[in-house]
Amino acid sequence: MPLITIERLDGSTQPLEVDPDGTLMEAIRDAGCEELLALCGGCLSCATCHVYVDPAFADRLPPMSDDEDALLDGLDNRGPDSRLSCQVRLDAGCEGMTVRLVETG
Amino acid sequence: MQHSEERDYFTDYSVLKDPYEYFESMRDRGGVYRSTVRDLIMVTGFEEAVEVFRNTEDFSSVIAPQGPALPLPFEPEGKDITAQVEAHRTEFLGGDMLVAYDGQQHKYSRSILNRLFTPSRLKANEEFIEAYSEQIVKEMVAKGGCELINEVATPFVTLVIADLLGVPDEDRDHFREVIDNAPPPGNMETEGDGGFDENSPLVIMGTYFYQYVMDRRENPREDILSELANATYPDGSTPDPLEIVRLATFLFGAGQDTSAKLLGNALRRIAEDAELQGRLRADPKLIPAFIEEVLRIEGSTKMTARLAIRDTTIGGMPVPVGTRVMIAIAAANRDPQRWESPAEFDIDRPRLREHLAFSRGAHTCAGAPLARVEVRIILEHLLANTSSIELDEEKHGPEGNRELDYEASFIIRGLSELHLKLTA
Repeated sequence: MPLITIERLDGSTQPLEVDPDGTLMEAIRDAGCEELLALCGGCLSCATCHVYVDPAFADRLPPMSDDEDALLDGLDNRGPDSRLSCQVRLDAGCEGMTVRLVETG
Repeated sequence: MQHSEERDYFTDYSVLKDPYEYFESMRDRGGVYRSTVRDLIMVTGFEEAVEVFRNTEDFSSVIAPQGPALPLPFEPEGKDITAQVEAHRTEFLGGDMLVAYDGQQHKYSRSILNRLFTPSRLKANEEFIEAYSEQIVKEMVAKGGCELINEVATPFVTLVIADLLGVPDEDRDHFREVIDNAPPPGNMETEGDGGFDENSPLVIMGTYFYQYVMDRRENPREDILSELANATYPDGSTPDPLEIVRLATFLFGAGQDTSAKLLGNALRRIAEDAELQGRLRADPKLIPAFIEEVLRIEGSTKMTARLAIRDTTIGGMPVPVGTRVMIAIAAANRDPQRWESPAEFDIDRPRLREHLAFSRGAHTCAGAPLARVEVRIILEHLLANTSSIELDEEKHGPEGNRELDYEASFIIRGLSELHLKLTA
């Protein structure tokens, strides 16, 4: 299981082990980070699991679908490193990656 | 402190008629309290409900279908009853349904289901919803009215799911017939044995889906059933065909009463509030926010349940292993600590879509995007094709003295019939 670091909204950081069989959203949610609302539960409809991923690891992540791209476009805080964490699964090569949580309300 | 007497949520008719008044009468006990008439803990606070939904470490969903009132099929032993729950899973009513799954099995099944409700998938489904809505609404307006629930809503939501899953046209009528004749989940009159026998719709549809899955595994085509039949789990393994069958049939069960009743609750409100009706007709862009507020104030799922599989807490209150917990969504969505003037209907509420009508966390309703789309589209057609929508007073009585009959279910909040007058 890759060990990554998540940066919370309050600026604090914490280590997180991500189950490669689950999504990044599930891992963050199950770690109790309440700022990640993930309202739709992972079916790519609400964009409330938005995160910024470490650009150094961008090419290790699954490619972005048109649906994900369109949903991210609806956000006013989309940045170059934005992903919806429900669409991201991590493999061992993501060890050491940092994921920054953003306002999702 | 002296509290008013607790009525039994599961059997008291006044609670069925107005669960909101009931939960308000219990509000002074706090957001989490032990019931005095049933062996369970009640969660009525918004924060507390979210806490339980998100705590999949300490709570199992195995009792979600059968509810929190029934005793467990085993005597809890030790500090952690996870293994006992799994060993007895099939003895829980609906214990093998997706809503009842825990842990990895749940995660795996959701990974397959989630693909069905993506925006591009729904877009294809939307064409069917548009066409069917237009046809049925025109028909009902032409005859001046309808009984919404059975004549319109139930066939509508059933055929929408059938379309989404790619059920062949020739089988759709049969599906509808089977579902029409079934009682709703959480039936109060058959508490405990709300049967899954060979005549239950889930079993009949299961037979069909088993054939579809086997056929599409052998002869894959360009359709959703083929995609579903050949989907793999995140680790690359292939699900047992019966698991796909369970998922597909579950969608009918889950999408049936909930969506149909949501449409009923939405239309009752539209019919009884002329000003709101005019506002929505003049500006259909307000319909999505209207639906969210209906979901909050009168969503079609009143409650769900969890089982404590370890000693834990809710809102600081100790919850021992083996405790059955009832999460009163109807109460949490009107918690005054979370919602300003909670009993008021206000489509402009801030952060409205954070209501719990579709739950939260791992078990958030996967069909929520579909429910939102189908209810929005048929409401758009109903409003666009009428100048007025009213309750039929011959059937429901005059304003101030309405006779509205709610489905006898401890889970579902919805009218069993809604007679409407539709004026072009």
